Amino acid sequence: MYSNRILNRFKSPEYAGGLRGANGTGRAGNETSDLIKIYILVSDEGVIERVNFKAYGGVCTIVAGDCACELIDGASLEEALRVNNYSILQEMGEIPEEREYVGNLAEEAIKNAIEDYYKKREKELKKQGK
Amino acid sequence: MEKKVYLDNASTTYVSSEVMAEMLPCFNAIYGNANSVHSYGRDASAIVDRARDRIAHAINASKSQEIYFTSGGTEADNWAIRGIAHAYSNKGRHIITSQIEHHAVLDACKRLEEEGFEVTYLPVDSHGLVKIVDLLHSIRKDTTLISIMSVNNEVGTIQNIKAIAKIAHDYDVIFHTDAVQALGAIKLDVQDMEIDAMTLSAHKIHGPKGVGCLYLKNGIRIENLLEGGSQERGKRGGTVNVPAVAGFGKATEIAVRDMSINQQKLRNVREYFLKQVGDNIELVSLNGHPLQKVNGIVNLSFDMVDKESLLMLLDMEGIAVSAGSACTANSIEQSHVLKAMGLDDEKANGAIRFSFGKNNSKHDIDHCVEALKKSVEQLRSISALTKAGRK
Repeated sequence: MYSNRILNRFKSPEYAGGLRGANGTGRAGNETSDLIKIYILVSDEGVIERVNFKAYGGVCTIVAGDCACELIDGASLEEALRVNNYSILQEMGEIPEEREYVGNLAEEAIKNAIEDYYKKREKELKKQGK
Repeated sequence: MEKKVYLDNASTTYVSSEVMAEMLPCFNAIYGNANSVHSYGRDASAIVDRARDRIAHAINASKSQEIYFTSGGTEADNWAIRGIAHAYSNKGRHIITSQIEHHAVLDACKRLEEEGFEVTYLPVDSHGLVKIVDLLHSIRKDTTLISIMSVNNEVGTIQNIKAIAKIAHDYDVIFHTDAVQALGAIKLDVQDMEIDAMTLSAHKIHGPKGVGCLYLKNGIRIENLLEGGSQERGKRGGTVNVPAVAGFGKATEIAVRDMSINQQKLRNVREYFLKQVGDNIELVSLNGHPLQKVNGIVNLSFDMVDKESLLMLLDMEGIAVSAGSACTANSIEQSHVLKAMGLDDEKANGAIRFSFGKNNSKHDIDHCVEALKKSVEQLRSISALTKAGRK
């Protein structure tokens, strides 16, 4: 059902877990089936310095979260916003068609994390009177 | 070498050496067509007759001719539902079954609905039991068949078959039961339990795959399943699979002969497993009836964890278990059984079936629980669901 590539990544996801000090958090999906949360730490220069994820769901949901993190790790926010369903699925490799929705979930989680970062940043700048 | 533990015996079992010994001569020494009139055929026919006798004896059928061999449980279920419904369609076109039946029954009922029959799917309580009052309310003048499984394959709950069969007969309705998971686990006496038709399968009881049977009480009408041969009294054409039938007969004989000792072993393993899980893993709940259940099946829900992920991690640790029934395990849909029992999404998503066999030891359970603890902790540590508000 799954390739060794998928299973190896599922067993030891590099980016799994929460991220202390994250300044952007995005979630996609729901508690009833699949949920991905992505945590980003963005530098003042707009570069994603650290990224982690948490996921509730099957093998592909967890691997999609991990692949999404890898694709945006070290990327500028503009680059990260260009990561989409297709690039995530490509990074994952072959998965069953009925599981391909996880690519959209991971993409949405990235976009929501970046949006959350911008919102927080704007709030912070307002606070500082800039 | 990595230790492997098989805890998926409700999906299938290995063929026991006694059964294999019974089957082997039928591949090359006694290879005649059981329908042939010559001595080769008669020798094969004698083996088929013996298997039929053994199964009839095991379930206390009044005649061996009430056993009809099929390719397995699914075929027997399909045949019973469709064959009986059509044979009695002049009398009525209403069938009653339950929401937690195997898909071999449910999908046959769906097909009947497409053909103009009406089907009532009885709900179950939170333990997976059909309520007798619901059954009584659903019986109509045009009801011809009630089909309720003896033991549920996902959670192991045992239905009140004798009571249900009695009610069916009070209303002059035929009663069928899918007893695939019940054979060797509980006593099956078709006369005492007033069963009219019953599905059995070999591979759940250390027999070969691809063979099962339908018990059909004398006098109950059924439409033929396969045309084109006089086998199985003309009702199910096709050359009889003699080695498989021989194995099925032997496996049934052994399952009933050893039931008491096997059940004692399984009870011990089950209790040990539940204690070890309880002592080592938090936020786990048991699905199914706590008392009215078979010993071999334990269905547990692990909060904050998805069943597929847990199943795969356990597999990587050498533990073979199942998410729901094997027939639906590739589906990402939730179990229809757990849904009918009213489990919430998280508990249904996190439900795993552990099914024990007669050779599972406490050592196997220790290995399983160790892997289970590790896997559940790993998945919970990265779960997007939180423990907030939980006890």
